Amino acid sequence: MKKFKILSALLPFILLSGTVPVRAEDDTVILRVCNWEEYVDEGGWDEEETIELESGDIYGADPLYEEFEAWYYENYGQKVKVEYSCFGTNEELYNMLTLGDVYDLVVPSEYMFMKLLEEDMLVPYSADFFDEEKKDNYYIRNVSPFIRDTFENNEIDGHHWNEYAAGYMWGVTGILYNSDSVSKEDASTWKILDNPDYFRQITVKDNVRDTYFAALGAIKSDKLLSEGFRNDPAYRDKLAEEMNDVSPETIEKSLDYLQRVRDNVYSFETDSGKADMVTGKVLANYQWSGDAVYAMDQAEEEDDVCLSFAVPDECTNLWFDAMVMLKKGISEDPRKQAAAEAYVNFMSRPDNAVRNMYYIGYTSSISGGPDGDQVFEYMDYVYGAEEDEEDVVDYDVSYFFGERDGEPASITAPAEQVDRQLFAQYPTEEVMNRSSLMFYFDAKANADINRMWVGVRCYNIKNVPVLCWVIIALVIIAGVFLAIRKKKNER
Amino acid sequence: MKMTISRKSLGIPYGIFLFLFVVAPLIVIVYYAFTNGSGHFTFENLTGFFRDPNTTGTLVYSLVLAFVTTCICLGIAYPVAYVLAMGKLKFKSVLMMLFIMPMWINFTLRITALKEILTLIEGNLAFYPFLNSVVGMTYDFLPFMILPIYTTLSKLDLSLLEAAQDLGADRKQTFMRVILPLSMPGVISGISMVFLPAMTNYVVLDMLYNSTYIMGSLIGSYFSAYNWHGGSMISLILLALICIFTLLSSGKEEETRGGSIL
Repeated sequence: MKKFKILSALLPFILLSGTVPVRAEDDTVILRVCNWEEYVDEGGWDEEETIELESGDIYGADPLYEEFEAWYYENYGQKVKVEYSCFGTNEELYNMLTLGDVYDLVVPSEYMFMKLLEEDMLVPYSADFFDEEKKDNYYIRNVSPFIRDTFENNEIDGHHWNEYAAGYMWGVTGILYNSDSVSKEDASTWKILDNPDYFRQITVKDNVRDTYFAALGAIKSDKLLSEGFRNDPAYRDKLAEEMNDVSPETIEKSLDYLQRVRDNVYSFETDSGKADMVTGKVLANYQWSGDAVYAMDQAEEEDDVCLSFAVPDECTNLWFDAMVMLKKGISEDPRKQAAAEAYVNFMSRPDNAVRNMYYIGYTSSISGGPDGDQVFEYMDYVYGAEEDEEDVVDYDVSYFFGERDGEPASITAPAEQVDRQLFAQYPTEEVMNRSSLMFYFDAKANADINRMWVGVRCYNIKNVPVLCWVIIALVIIAGVFLAIRKKKNER
Repeated sequence: MKMTISRKSLGIPYGIFLFLFVVAPLIVIVYYAFTNGSGHFTFENLTGFFRDPNTTGTLVYSLVLAFVTTCICLGIAYPVAYVLAMGKLKFKSVLMMLFIMPMWINFTLRITALKEILTLIEGNLAFYPFLNSVVGMTYDFLPFMILPIYTTLSKLDLSLLEAAQDLGADRKQTFMRVILPLSMPGVISGISMVFLPAMTNYVVLDMLYNSTYIMGSLIGSYFSAYNWHGGSMISLILLALICIFTLLSSGKEEETRGGSIL
C-alpha cells in the first residue's frame, strides 16, 4: 500500500513530464509540427511519377519535413529535428491544444486560426519573414497575389491575417457529380441536396459547418440569385453577411432544410464520398475542391464513370489552410521561431509546393515568382492541351498567377477541363467573386448550431412508432414476469 | 519472506494501469459531467439529457438496435455453440476455427467487404439503414456470443444429463430444465459482450451509411462542439446502464451457481 501511495504522489509528475517542452541535450532545435492527415508530400515516389517540367524534373524522394532538416542544416548550420504529427479535424486540433498538447507550428483552417488568434494563442511572424530581398524568404517572394491580398485585407480584432498566418493550401466547396446522369444545371445549386430527382443518390459531408453553409445557400437561394442582390455595390460584404447568418430563425430554417436533406440523400459521409463517386454508387457528392480533383483523377483511371465538378451559383465557401505559430510552443525561443519560419519558407519553395500539390491534390497558395515558375508549369503540364488538340479554350487564371510576359496569365486547356480538375483546382475569377468565408461561430451560435445538427442526426423520440413502444413494453413485462416466477419457484 | 514481497509487487503494474487508465479518467468524466462551462456544480447536463427529445430518442434507438442485434446473435450463436459442444462432429476444431477466424481479420476490412456484399444484394444501401446496421453489428459481434456459450456448454458435466435421462426426462425436458439453466452464465456474459458495444459502436453505422446517431456518435458530436460536459454526462449514463445490467446479471449467475450445487 505504501508503494501505491508513493506512486500516486509521483503521478502528477509523471503526467506533467509529458507536457513539459522536451529539450534535446545538444543544440538541436525540436520543431513540433501538427498538420492535417495526408497533407504533405511523404516522398517515396515511383520513377515514372517524376514530374518533367521545362525548368527541371521534380521528384519526391523523402518526406518534405525530413528534407527540411537537411536543408536547414545546410543553409543555417543549425540542427533541427521535426516532430511531425497529424490531426483529423479543426475541432480535434483545438481540443488537443486546449487539453495541453504543445506544438510549435500548426496548419488549421481560416476560421480556426481566427479563433486561436482571438484567444491570443498565436505568435506573429517576424519582420524578417516579410523581407522580400532575402533569398530564403520563399513564402513572401512566391505567394500568389490572390492569397496575399486576401490575407492582408482580412482582419480580426485589428490584426491582419498575414501578420500571423502563412497560406498553405486553399480551395472552395462544390458539387462533384457524375456527368452521365446529372446535368450541370442541377449540380450548380445547393438545392440539389434535397432534389427528389436524386433520391438516395447523393452523399453529403458529415460536418456541421459544411452542411450549415449548404443549408444557408439553399434557403437563401432566391435572394442570393436575385439581380438586385448581385448588382449591389457592396455585394461581397453583403454575401459574407448572409453566409455568416446565425440568427435563431435562420438556424431554425436550416434545421428544417437539413432534415429534408437527410431524408433525401444517400448518407452523410466522413471519408467514403470520393470512393463511392468513383465506383458509381452515388451520383453526386458535396465535396471540397481538392478531394474532388482526387476523385476525378481516380475516375479517369477507372475509366467507366465520368465525374465533373460544379460550384453552386448561389455562393461557395472559400477556405484557406494556413501555417501559424503557437505561443505555447515557441515560448519566445528565437531559435525555434527562426526554424518555424524557415519551415514555412521551405514548404513555400515553388518546387516543394508542386510536390505537395501532386501528392495531396489540393491547390497551393504559392504561385511562383523569382524562385521559379514550377507551379504554373505544373498546371500547364497537367491540364494544358496537346498541340494538335482541337476542342480547346483559353482559361484565365490571372487572379491567381497575376501577369505573365505582360499579359494576364492563362493556359490553353481542353474544353472539358472547364468543368473538371482544372476548374476545381483553380476556379474561375467569376466563381471567386461569389465566394464567401465562413467565420467561426461564437459560443452561443456554436451551441445553437450544434443543437440543430443533433436535431438533424438524432432519432427524435416523438418518431418512435407505437408498435415499437408496444414491443418495448412487452419485453419489460416479460422480464418482470420471468423474474417473479423465478422468485416464486425458489420459495 | 522474499516470496511475499515479490507476490505483492506482482500487482503493482496492474495497480498503476488501473489508476492511470480506469480510475483517473473516470474521475475526470464525473467532474465534467457535473459541472458547467464555468466550473460550477450542476445537474443541468443530466436533466438536459432526459428533457431533449433528440437525446432520449437516440437512447431508445441505440437500445432497440442493440436489443435486436443481441437477439439475433443469441439466436444464431446458441444452436451453433450447442452443436459444437455437444455434437460428435469430426471437424469440430475446424468448425470452431471458422467461427473465430473473422476476429483475426481487421474490423474495418470486414465491414467494407460486408458493405460490398450488401450492395450487391440490395442495390442501394440507403433504403435499409437499420437493417444494414443490425447485419453489420451481428457480423461483427457474433464470435463474442458464440465463445462464452461454447465454453460453458463444453464444460458441462455430462453425468448430469445422464441423471436427467435416468430420472425420466425426455430430450426437451433435459434441455429446458438442465442444459439451458446451466448454460446461463455463458449466455449472460455473451449478452453483455454484445449488447453494450452494440449501443456505442458507431463505426459500423458510419461505414454502412446509417446517418442516424447512436450513443457513441452522440458523444463524439458533443466533443467536437467543445461540449465536454454534455459528452461526459452521456458517457456516465452509459456507464450507469452497464452497472445496472451487471448487477442484474450477477444476481442471476449466483442463482444458477446455486442451482448447479444442488
